[in-house]
Amino acid sequence: MSTADQLEQGKMAVIQQIMPSELTLHLMEMGFLPGKRISLLQRAPLKDPLAFKLENTVIALRKAEAQLIQVTLEN
Amino acid sequence: MPEVLTPAQQSTFTVALIGNPNVGKTTIFNRLTGLRQKVGNYPGVTVDKRFANVKIGEQEATILDLPGTYSIYPNSEDEVIVHRVLNGLDQGNRPDFVLAVVDMSSMERGLFLITQIMDLGLPMAIVLNMEDTAEEQGIKVKTHALYRSLGVPIIQSNARSNKGIDGILDLIGQKMFEKPQSFLNIEDLLPHELSSAVQEKFGLENSYQAYQLIRFHQSEPLIDHNDKLWLEHQLSKVEYDIKKTQLEETQQRYAGIQQVLSSAIEKTDIQRKRLTDKLDSVFLHKIGGYGIFIGILLVIFQAVFAWSAMPMDLIDGFFATLSAAVANLLPAGVLTDLITEGIIPGIGGVVIFIPQIALLFAFLGILEDTGYMSRVVFLMDRIMRPFGLNGKSVVPLISGIACAIPGIMATRNIGNWKDRLITIMVTPLMSCSARLPVYVILIGIAVPESYVGPFNLQAIALLGMYLLGIIAVLFTSWILKLALKFKEKSYLMVEMPLYRLPRWKDVLITMYSKSKTFVFAAGKVILTISVILWVLASYGPSSVREESIAKVEVPAENAAQEDLDLYESQLASAELESSYIGIMGKFIEPTIRPLGYDWKIGIALITSFAAREVFVSTIATLYSVGSDVEDELTIQQKLESEVNPETGEKVFNLATAFSLIVFYAFAMQCMSTLAVVYRETKGWKWPVIQTVYMTALAYVSAWVVYQILS
Repeated sequence: MSTADQLEQGKMAVIQQIMPSELTLHLMEMGFLPGKRISLLQRAPLKDPLAFKLENTVIALRKAEAQLIQVTLEN
Repeated sequence: MPEVLTPAQQSTFTVALIGNPNVGKTTIFNRLTGLRQKVGNYPGVTVDKRFANVKIGEQEATILDLPGTYSIYPNSEDEVIVHRVLNGLDQGNRPDFVLAVVDMSSMERGLFLITQIMDLGLPMAIVLNMEDTAEEQGIKVKTHALYRSLGVPIIQSNARSNKGIDGILDLIGQKMFEKPQSFLNIEDLLPHELSSAVQEKFGLENSYQAYQLIRFHQSEPLIDHNDKLWLEHQLSKVEYDIKKTQLEETQQRYAGIQQVLSSAIEKTDIQRKRLTDKLDSVFLHKIGGYGIFIGILLVIFQAVFAWSAMPMDLIDGFFATLSAAVANLLPAGVLTDLITEGIIPGIGGVVIFIPQIALLFAFLGILEDTGYMSRVVFLMDRIMRPFGLNGKSVVPLISGIACAIPGIMATRNIGNWKDRLITIMVTPLMSCSARLPVYVILIGIAVPESYVGPFNLQAIALLGMYLLGIIAVLFTSWILKLALKFKEKSYLMVEMPLYRLPRWKDVLITMYSKSKTFVFAAGKVILTISVILWVLASYGPSSVREESIAKVEVPAENAAQEDLDLYESQLASAELESSYIGIMGKFIEPTIRPLGYDWKIGIALITSFAAREVFVSTIATLYSVGSDVEDELTIQQKLESEVNPETGEKVFNLATAFSLIVFYAFAMQCMSTLAVVYRETKGWKWPVIQTVYMTALAYVSAWVVYQILS
C-alpha cells in the first residue's frame, strides 16, 4: 500500500481509503472514493502539484493532499 | 449594508440553477437569460448574486445562477451561498424550484449533489448536459431508468450547441418540477429525538433540513443566540459525533448512487487517447509549458495596450470636448464649473478604464472558457506557494500590470480566503498602466538618455520599475503570509476540464457584465472623490487667495499673445497655490521634506490620490507649463529648470526624482482600487490596512532612496 503521490506516471491504481483529515470529505465529494481507479497523469514541472485522472475527470492536487489518498497498484 | 435584491418579491417564482463546476451551468444560464442578467449582492459575503427575470409565455420566472459546487456542504465562500440559498437562509426564502445541471460523463459526482438536494425536499428537475463529451467517452445514460429510480423530471441538453434550451424553457414555463422522495434516510444516522425536536422547533419539513441546521448552526448569522444555545443543549443530550455522521452519509450516498447508476449507465471502454491529454503534454511541458504561458501573456499585453490606446484617446478627447461644449453652453458660474471641471472629468476618469478592463476580461474569459486557466494554476502553484500565494493568484497579478481593478476582481475564484486576501492586498503593487506616464517623465529627468551597449538606459530603468513591482509583490505577500493568522489551511484541488473552443457569446456576456459591474461599483466612489478634489482645488480662504492672485503681474493691454498665455498660466498656478488643496500641500510639506519634496509636489501627491496619472496634469498646472499638458517633453524641460527660490538649487535633482519614482511605485494612490478592494472585502478594514501599509512602504523607501542619493 502506498499513497497517490508516489504513483508512477501512467500506472493504474485503486483507491483503498482516504486518510482522516480536514480535507477528507472534500476529496470524497470530488470523487476520490475507495474502489475508484486512479492514475497519475502529469507532475507539474516543479514536481508539485500532481494531476490525477479519476474516472473521466482530471483533478490537480498538491502533494500534501495526494498523500491522504491510499492506493494499491493494479496488476 | 450592501444593496439587497430579493428576486422572490419581484416575480412569481424563483428557479435556482445548480451544479458541479465545469458542467456548463453558466452556458445554460446565458442561453436562458442573455443580457437580462443582473448582478446583486448576497448580504455579508463577497459573492455576486447573478440572476435574471425571464418571461416564458404568461409566466415570469427569476432564474438564479448559483456558484458551482460539489456538495451542499460548503468548502469555500462561493459554496456557502449555495448552502444558504438552499436552506432558506438567504432572506428567509428557499427557491421555489431547483434546476440541477449534471455532466453526463461525470454522473456519479453530479448525482452526489443532486441527491442531497432531493433530501432537502425541494421541487426539482435535472438537466443532463454535455451529451457530446459523454458519447466520446463511451458513456450512455438511460434516461428512463434514471427517472424511474430518482423520480425527478429529466431533460437532456447540449448547451454549447444550443440543443435542449427550448425544452428547458418549456419545463420552467410549465413548472414541471417535482418534489422528490428523499434519497437517503438520514434518520438512520441521526438520533430520532434530536431530529424531531429540531424539526418541530424550527418548523422544518424533514429531518435532512433539521440535520443541516444541526450541522451548520454555529456559523450561521441568521440563527439567534438563544436558538444556538438551545441547539447546543439538544446536542449535549444525545451522544453524537456529527463529523462522523457526515462521513458516513457521504459513503452511504455514494453507495446508493452507484446502485442507481449500475442500471442507468452503459459504458464502453474507449482506449483512444483524448485530444485533451495530447494538448496537455504540450501545454504542461516542463519547459515548453512555461514558454507558451509567457508567449500568451505577451500577446495579451500587446493587445490590451495597443488596442485600448485608441479608444482611450477617443474617450479622453470626448470628455474634454464635452467639458468645453458644456462650458460654452451653460452660463458661467459655480455650477457650470462643478459640472465641467468636477463631474464630467470625474465620469471620464471612470470611463477611460473601460477599454482596458473590457479587453482584459475578454482575454481572461477566453482563457477560462477554453480550459487553459486551470493549467496556468497547475504550472504556477509551486512557484507562488513559498510567498503565501497560490497558483490561482497568477491571473490577478498579471491583470494588475494593466490595471489593479480587474486584477482584484479576478481573485474571486481563489477558494481559500487567506490566499485570496493576500492576493488582493499585493496586486496594486504590480506596476499598472497609470504609473507609466509618471515614470516616463521622472525617468526622463533622472536617467540620462545614453546607451549601455545596445540598450537605452531609460528603457532599462523603466523595465526595472516593473521588476521592482514584482519584487515588492513577492516580498509583501511573504510578510503577509507570516503576519496573517487564519485557521484555514491552504490547499489546492482544481479540476482541469477538457480543452474546448471558446464560445464567443459567453465571452462577450462575461466581458459586458464585468465591465458594467466595475463602472457602477467603482464609479460612484471615483466620482465622489473627484468632486471633492475639485472643490478643494477650486476654493480657498478668500484672504489668502486675493493676496496670492495680486502677486501675479498683469500684462499691459497691448501685450503679446505669449505674455497673455504666461499670465493665464501664472494665474492658474496662483489660484491652485491658494486653494484648500494648496494649503494642504503646504501643511504636509514638513512630512515630505525628508523625501526631498516641496509643497508643490505635496499638492501633486494629494491630487494623485484620484489617480496616479493626475500627477502629470497637476505638476503641469503648478509649474505653469501652460495648457499643453499632453506634451510631456515640455513638462520635463520645465521641471528640470525649476529652482528652489530660497536655496537656488534645482527642485528636481536626481535624488528627488528617484525618490518620487519609488514613492509612486509603492504608494496606494488610486481610489478606484480602494473602491474595488472595499467592494471585494465588504468593508473598510482591508482597504484601510492596504493604504496604510503601501503608504508606509512608499514613504520609507522614498526616504531611503533620497538619503542615499542626496
